[in-house]
Amino acid sequence: MKNLEFFRRVSIGRYIDRDSPVHRLSPLGKYLWLLALIVPASLVRSALMLAIIAASALALALLARIKPGYLLKGFLPVLPLLGIAMAFQLIFTASGDQSPVLVTLGPITVTLREVGSIAALALRFLAMMLSLGLFTSVITEGDTARGIEDLLAPLSYVGFPAHALALAVAVAFRFIPIVAGELESVVKAQAARGSDFGAGKGGPIRKARAYLPLIVPVTIRALERAEMLAEAMEARCYRPKGRSRYVVHASGTLDTVARLGAIAYCAVLLIAAGRVAW
Amino acid sequence: MPLISVHDLHFSYPSAREPALRGLSFSVEAGEYLAVVGANGSGKSTLARCLNGLLPAPAGAVSVSGFDPSVRAERDELRKRLSLVFQSPPDQIVSSVVEEDVAFGPENLGLALPEMKRRVEGALKFAGLWQERKRSPRFLSAGQQQRLAVAGALAMEPACIVFDEATSMIDPAGRASILELLDELVHGGCAVIHITHDMAEAARAGRILALSEGRIAYDGESQGFFARDDLAELGLERPQAMRIASALGLKPIPAESARALSARIAGVSATCPELRAAAVAMDSPAAAVPVAALDAELAFSAENLVFRYLEGSGDESLALGGLSLALPVGKSLALVGATGSGKSTLLQLFAALANPSSGSVRVLGIDPSASGTDLRALRMSSPLSVQRPESAIFELYAGDEVAFGPRNQGLKGAALVERVLDAMDAVGLPYGAFRDRASRALSGGQKRRLALASVLSMRPQALVMDEPGSALDPGSRAGLMDTLFAAAKGRAAFVYSTHSMEEAARADYLAVLSSGRLAAFGPPSELFGKGFCADWGIARPFAAELAAELRALGMDIPIDVLHEDQLVFSLQGLRAGADPAVGLAKPSEPGAAADKGRGTAP
Repeated sequence: MKNLEFFRRVSIGRYIDRDSPVHRLSPLGKYLWLLALIVPASLVRSALMLAIIAASALALALLARIKPGYLLKGFLPVLPLLGIAMAFQLIFTASGDQSPVLVTLGPITVTLREVGSIAALALRFLAMMLSLGLFTSVITEGDTARGIEDLLAPLSYVGFPAHALALAVAVAFRFIPIVAGELESVVKAQAARGSDFGAGKGGPIRKARAYLPLIVPVTIRALERAEMLAEAMEARCYRPKGRSRYVVHASGTLDTVARLGAIAYCAVLLIAAGRVAW
Repeated sequence: MPLISVHDLHFSYPSAREPALRGLSFSVEAGEYLAVVGANGSGKSTLARCLNGLLPAPAGAVSVSGFDPSVRAERDELRKRLSLVFQSPPDQIVSSVVEEDVAFGPENLGLALPEMKRRVEGALKFAGLWQERKRSPRFLSAGQQQRLAVAGALAMEPACIVFDEATSMIDPAGRASILELLDELVHGGCAVIHITHDMAEAARAGRILALSEGRIAYDGESQGFFARDDLAELGLERPQAMRIASALGLKPIPAESARALSARIAGVSATCPELRAAAVAMDSPAAAVPVAALDAELAFSAENLVFRYLEGSGDESLALGGLSLALPVGKSLALVGATGSGKSTLLQLFAALANPSSGSVRVLGIDPSASGTDLRALRMSSPLSVQRPESAIFELYAGDEVAFGPRNQGLKGAALVERVLDAMDAVGLPYGAFRDRASRALSGGQKRRLALASVLSMRPQALVMDEPGSALDPGSRAGLMDTLFAAAKGRAAFVYSTHSMEEAARADYLAVLSSGRLAAFGPPSELFGKGFCADWGIARPFAAELAAELRALGMDIPIDVLHEDQLVFSLQGLRAGADPAVGLAKPSEPGAAADKGRGTAP
């Protein structure tokens, strides 16, 4: 029997409380470093540069006193996808691939360029997962929202609702366990009455029908609970403008240096990437 | 000028046929303590929302410190003065850190940081949560979460706090701490409006406002309210202390504690020497049966049962830590204990909806985790009714909802109709009148009954119910439990969890859970009698508590008194010098004394 548990897959916002220079950064500083790692990692093609980014993320993780193994564990479910992508790289040869053939296995030939691509793919994946995992481990839920507000603060001068967006993020965080809990309760109620979700025989229509007893009540309950939360916020005089902040991050020298460092790091990588061929 | 004045307040929801409020007028003075009572759907929550502008009251109908919620510009000023605390603790927490949540209101007011810090500290210390300020609210108990909501309201420095059934979803210990907080608020000069279904809670307020179908049925002192004969018609009842006092010919006093009442009873008895003389040695009629000695067939059994949530992840938490118990066939079992003590988890295991982490569980003699078990069939013969089961209703029409289970069992045609008809009739929603009613348009109490009918329609061998009576008004609640006990007759077992000790006392067996372990197991008369232990974190039923107080005063009250009619009977028996054992051997239905009490004027 599979346990009907839905919290297990919820792994967003796993803050690990440590006292480290990385933890002490302001939310804005953490966001800037996340972007400084993620943006080059998605743009750069060179395996060497991707290795440097992955190593930087690893170094930051060590500085934050968080085990890299823990960061990667949460992304194990994505590995099969990565494997498929690698297999495709191997099977299909890019047109105009003039690089030397290393191994030939029947119809499949492995060229140097293919090996380079696969290495880049794996390194890109590693760099991104390490950066994202590290980010969610060193930032609290509250700071995740506040950081967005700070990051987008310049845009609010031209009328962009930075605070509203930050609040939406905060509320979304709050709602993940709430909706998961409602789903779990409804699934159990329907399972007690003989529903078997997806496990039953029959075509796609019958399978889809089995989900109907979930979708209707879970949607209604999620909306009801959203309304309750909205009422509670309204009763406490919520307004998007003219609010003050209870949590203030002192923006010390370290933080300023870290912010500038993030921007410089990102710029250097992007510029260097244009000059490195492999 | 009164703090709050309400003048001829009408309100209708856009889609509703009947208005929710029909011309309420009353006022509340600064520092007053007012309880608002009424059946489900009488308009209590609507009133609370009209008071602070969450629902649009007509212009001029409501005024708080001179501010009118219908005027947009005045609404924030009004809400600063009148805070709301809602029913469900997790649904009013905005932030992921305790102190940041308390600061949410002051942030909205745009207060300066030093002022916010002062308010947050004051509110958290008042609510007894200062130590928890850096933690995440989700790790607090339900009672603590509700105290956090009170702190959040308090940080606004309001003149009045409205509690909208704020004690209905928390365990007895958490409830007691909230009630203490209310008293302290009133003591500190803050007006409190407490909307509640619990009559003993309502009696703590000096003044009672009773609503019935959107009108004021009573507004005045609690003493006068509980003397009325028509409380049952309002879906309400008198507090047990008052019922027992009047049954004994004493003056009923609202909110009287068991200790105070026992002193009065003993005082009367002191002038009546035959009371002490009539000492009858009584043995408990339902002596505790050691679990191991039961060789009757077992409906449910658990052996060294361990259950962990999120097993193997970083957030693993222990819900059950090695629990063993056995329930013989044909018996009922009530699970009691604080929030998080493992009641819901145990019920899920009994309904074959979860796998134990270790240890074993047998449901109707079958091991659900054994290979080859027809899990679907087992779940349907021991179906769980989850907390607030009405939230799982999904069919448009009531009859279809009830038919969902039997259809999954493969029934069709006349057999299916018969099942639906029987189940709907059994819960008091007659098939003829209700089968084509829209499920969503039913009242709260009717939805609960519909959800229960949709379990009964499967003709399950056992009933497994998680807090079946929660959040219902006293009238519906007592009626629902009667229905369930009647429906449980002839089945293998009836297992339910509850925070009401009076409800728990109706079962054949009681299991007290504490931090995922079985603290005690036995007949309620035993556990609430001489076996009672204060460390369990539960209270006794009021009658058992009163009986214990009377025994402490030297009176001969049998050790197994659980229901108020048993207590009244034994006291009357003592007074008359008759043998009370006759009455106690066969306890009558617990509702009987309630009816006696209601008819008696003080």
